Amino acid sequence: MSSNQDLIGIIQAKLSSGETASSCHEASLMQGWVRASRILALVEHENEWALFIFISSRMPPEVFTDLAIERVIPVDSDFKCEIDAGEQSGDVYVNISSRKLKLLFEMIPGIKTNNFVSEIMRSMEALMKLRGPPPEFQWLHKYSGSTSNRNSADCDPAPVDAADVDVTKGAKTVAEKMLDIDSPDIVVPRQSIAQGATPIAARESVIRYQMSMKEDDYTFTETLRVFIGTWNVNGLPPNASLSPWLASDMEPPDLYAVGFQELDLSKEAFLFNDTPREEEWRKAVIAGLHPAAKYRQVALVRLVGMMLILLVQEKHEKHVRNVAWETVGTGIMGKMGNKGGVGIRVEIHNTSICFVNSHLAAHVEEFERRNQDYHDICSRLSFSKFVPTKCIKDHDQVYWLGDLNYRITEMEPRIVRDLISHNSLSALLECDQLNRQRQHKNVFDGYREGPITFKPTYKYDPGTDDWDSSEKNRAPAWCDRILWRGDGMEQKEYRSHPILRTSDHKPVSALFESQIRVIDVVKYRKVHEEVMKKLDKLENEFLPQVTVDNTEIIFDIVRFLEPQSQELIIANTGQVPVDFEFIKKLDDSKYCKEWLNIDPAASSIKPGEKCDVKLELFVDKKSASKLNSGEDKLYDILVLHLDGGKDIFITVTGNYERSCFGSSLEALVHISVPVREIPIGKLVELENVREAPGGMEPYPIPKEIWFLVDHLYRHGLKKQNLFLLTGLHSELIAIRNWLDNGSSEPLPGSLYSIAEALLLLLESTAEPIVPFNLHSVCLGAATNYLQCKQIIMQLPEFRRNVFLYLCFFLQELLSHANENGLDAKTLATVFGAIFLRDPPRVSARGRVNPAVMDRKKASFVYHFLVNDLSDYVMSKSLHLSGTS
Amino acid sequence: MASSRGGAAQRPNNQSQGKICQFKLVLLGESAVGKSSLVLRFVKGQFHEYQESTIGAAFLTQTVCLEDTTVKFEIWDTAGQERYHSLAPMYYRGAQAAIIVYDITNMDSFGRAKVWVKELQRQASPNIVIALAGNKADLANSRAVECDEAQAYADENGLLFMETSAKTAKNVNEIFLAIAKKLPKNEQVSGAGSTNQGRRLVESEGNTKAAGNCCSK
Repeated sequence: MSSNQDLIGIIQAKLSSGETASSCHEASLMQGWVRASRILALVEHENEWALFIFISSRMPPEVFTDLAIERVIPVDSDFKCEIDAGEQSGDVYVNISSRKLKLLFEMIPGIKTNNFVSEIMRSMEALMKLRGPPPEFQWLHKYSGSTSNRNSADCDPAPVDAADVDVTKGAKTVAEKMLDIDSPDIVVPRQSIAQGATPIAARESVIRYQMSMKEDDYTFTETLRVFIGTWNVNGLPPNASLSPWLASDMEPPDLYAVGFQELDLSKEAFLFNDTPREEEWRKAVIAGLHPAAKYRQVALVRLVGMMLILLVQEKHEKHVRNVAWETVGTGIMGKMGNKGGVGIRVEIHNTSICFVNSHLAAHVEEFERRNQDYHDICSRLSFSKFVPTKCIKDHDQVYWLGDLNYRITEMEPRIVRDLISHNSLSALLECDQLNRQRQHKNVFDGYREGPITFKPTYKYDPGTDDWDSSEKNRAPAWCDRILWRGDGMEQKEYRSHPILRTSDHKPVSALFESQIRVIDVVKYRKVHEEVMKKLDKLENEFLPQVTVDNTEIIFDIVRFLEPQSQELIIANTGQVPVDFEFIKKLDDSKYCKEWLNIDPAASSIKPGEKCDVKLELFVDKKSASKLNSGEDKLYDILVLHLDGGKDIFITVTGNYERSCFGSSLEALVHISVPVREIPIGKLVELENVREAPGGMEPYPIPKEIWFLVDHLYRHGLKKQNLFLLTGLHSELIAIRNWLDNGSSEPLPGSLYSIAEALLLLLESTAEPIVPFNLHSVCLGAATNYLQCKQIIMQLPEFRRNVFLYLCFFLQELLSHANENGLDAKTLATVFGAIFLRDPPRVSARGRVNPAVMDRKKASFVYHFLVNDLSDYVMSKSLHLSGTS
Repeated sequence: MASSRGGAAQRPNNQSQGKICQFKLVLLGESAVGKSSLVLRFVKGQFHEYQESTIGAAFLTQTVCLEDTTVKFEIWDTAGQERYHSLAPMYYRGAQAAIIVYDITNMDSFGRAKVWVKELQRQASPNIVIALAGNKADLANSRAVECDEAQAYADENGLLFMETSAKTAKNVNEIFLAIAKKLPKNEQVSGAGSTNQGRRLVESEGNTKAAGNCCSK
């Protein structure tokens, strides 16, 4: 949360005074075929909102100079924000669109994304609630020059239709200048990918986005003749055929949208929304349709007196999908259905169309109420069966018809009638409230209306073509209108039908030729396949790629306790940053064997760069016994895994030179010569078959132990801190060589090194002197010397020998405590850990406190250091002065 | 004319075209039978006379568009050398499809293929779709494995079978297409497949076992 606050602060520093960044979020922009990091911010200025898109020179940005404004999108009536929630896995996709600009952002699912998107939605709602002229976004002017936006003048060549009296056209709005349309097929910017942009994944929303950008390639347009009719019937039932109105054209329309107002003025209709008129007028419509074609009713919606019926020619029926209808009352209390609007939305082929029939507030002076009714309908008419809900503006094409009730003002009714009789409509049209309000952008912003060449359609004496003769003497007005919004819509006819005299209004109709997008299934498949191929190619091309300089790491001769290392060079030869990691194989607990160390075992490499990985092979007391017995070999296959890509196998081999370190006591007592002189096969055999070879009498204890102890006995009894200070590594190696190879020289190394070598020799065996199966028994008996003694007497012969031999020696050492400063407790602790080494899994279980265990081990050994051992049955060779 | 549409919410009539089912496919077989060449031909349309030996498991993706769905293969092309055999389960566990490749000019490789089939039948997911590919069909002159014999073996074991040639492209797309068609397209399977990409393959072990349990008895 705080980091988001920091980010807002940085963005705020980028803005001018009076502009407030209210919310921000990191997102990935799907830019052609790659995704690139962006920062989005919602910025407010005097109740106008805009979405700012920033590029940052580093992520996250640290100061405002890191940010560059890439694009600013005003949250206006063209702004759309949709969440692609159709996918079960992965990220959230947010479509931001405005006019011809479409942007797809990938966001990480979570509360931050939810909050940010809610903020955008809130700003859109705020816009809907705005009254009066639409926001002009003057404050965004200064940003239009600072960015890479091309002048959009050359990419919007749409000529104004001759039939198009479009009061909204004119100077380009700020919004239009701000938007810059990218080609969806940008060449893949390798450079930016190398710097961290990543190729887009073949996710469903990405494919939909790509497909929508290529819509022109697999769709063709089909012209639909759309008949729009509107009639305020003044509560009267049909009393004449409607065909002069509905079938006035030569060719049958493909689609009819026919709206009525004041279908029923009765209280019942108002209160219970129930009226026989609905069926009467519906039948009348069906009877009046063009006789040259067959029609099917798609939908009918009615709110009190407002009814809208939608019909299509039979042949189109199967292409009509996602039909929905809604009603909005704006009448009494702002809610009731005596005024308001009803809407039907459909998709025909690949084009979405919305039809709205509205009856706006009455009375000459109430034009502002009418404007408000319009805005209310816009904000409240939403088709809730869709997620997110679709509003009127979310459609490719909108037809708005109805008794909009705008009048002719500032003119005497008499003059109005006079001008009409002289057919001087243009002077009247200038005084038409709707035209004026639209000029001021107070209402129907973005809509168009065809030129009016017919007489006002209100108010007549019913049954006649005469103007209202009642006392109210109402001025004639063009109450009944048809407007539209969207691309590819061409109005061919706009007229009234005075011959229908049922009502005080005359019916109005308009005929459109509208371009509907139709999918060519064959082409669609082809484009879809191309998109998939392109994504495959990209994905494969931008998979992580590395080369390693060597997949066979061979260590020549490896000796106990002598580390060796080799380098493996991993070079990123691909186009994307690589995260590599050595991974463990199925049944292994680690990614490499215990004698190997890999550094680093995981890291990242930028394209063109390398990473040196050090492979260190080190056989120590833990791994030596398995290598000696042949249970393990210096052989391992490492799996080098590239995140999101392939695996590379790296084989590590080495030749281990066996040593007495790691050999079992049982094997050693059977070997009379230095270990190195025994053939390897023989050694392995000795480790596994504990039998005396060729009649040799085994030693009571391994000669290596005797050599070491004997040396210490002769030279080291008075040495201070023996077994407490460590020896030198080089001396340990020399001692190892002396023991393994045999020598006539005296044992090399200091007394400390020799003492350490003795410990190491005992620690390197597969099992400690007290076998693992007796481990817990010993700890349990630790306080009881007799029990301890019994356990020791039951040990296998060689182990018992070694144990007692070492204890005798330690007692000897303690008898010189005055000189060497050693005490029984300290030695008991050191040798307790060695005689009673933990079984491999005990430490992992961690149930027993290790300090308690150590104390028990020490007290076990302590008995044997302070008690007289002379009653043990001894073989002669256990006497310290024995000969070798 | 107008090209602006109502955003990405506009979807084509046949919505299922957008549906992508992701499947993990593994190639197994003896060394030098042409596993990597088959993949290279399928994914990039290329053929190299001297294809380097794979040391590891190469990863590529390729999409196949069917009538109603789109199948995306995550292809793991494994090393054929025997010493890497113990690593193969990392790649076939959790796989929904496998192509076992042999070389029609090499009887031993066919024998090895049969061993792979057995191993998969025992160890892999029980619903795995297995295809047997007799590769190097362009070298029919030096044929050592009769087509009928392989076909009979495949029939016995419920495998898809084709003789392929990565060199001439014969039956390469076809065998992948046949697998794509045979794979179940319900949500569950595609969901499981889509989680595998670039992940540690060992983690999918659990799935396999669970699937095995529910099908045994």
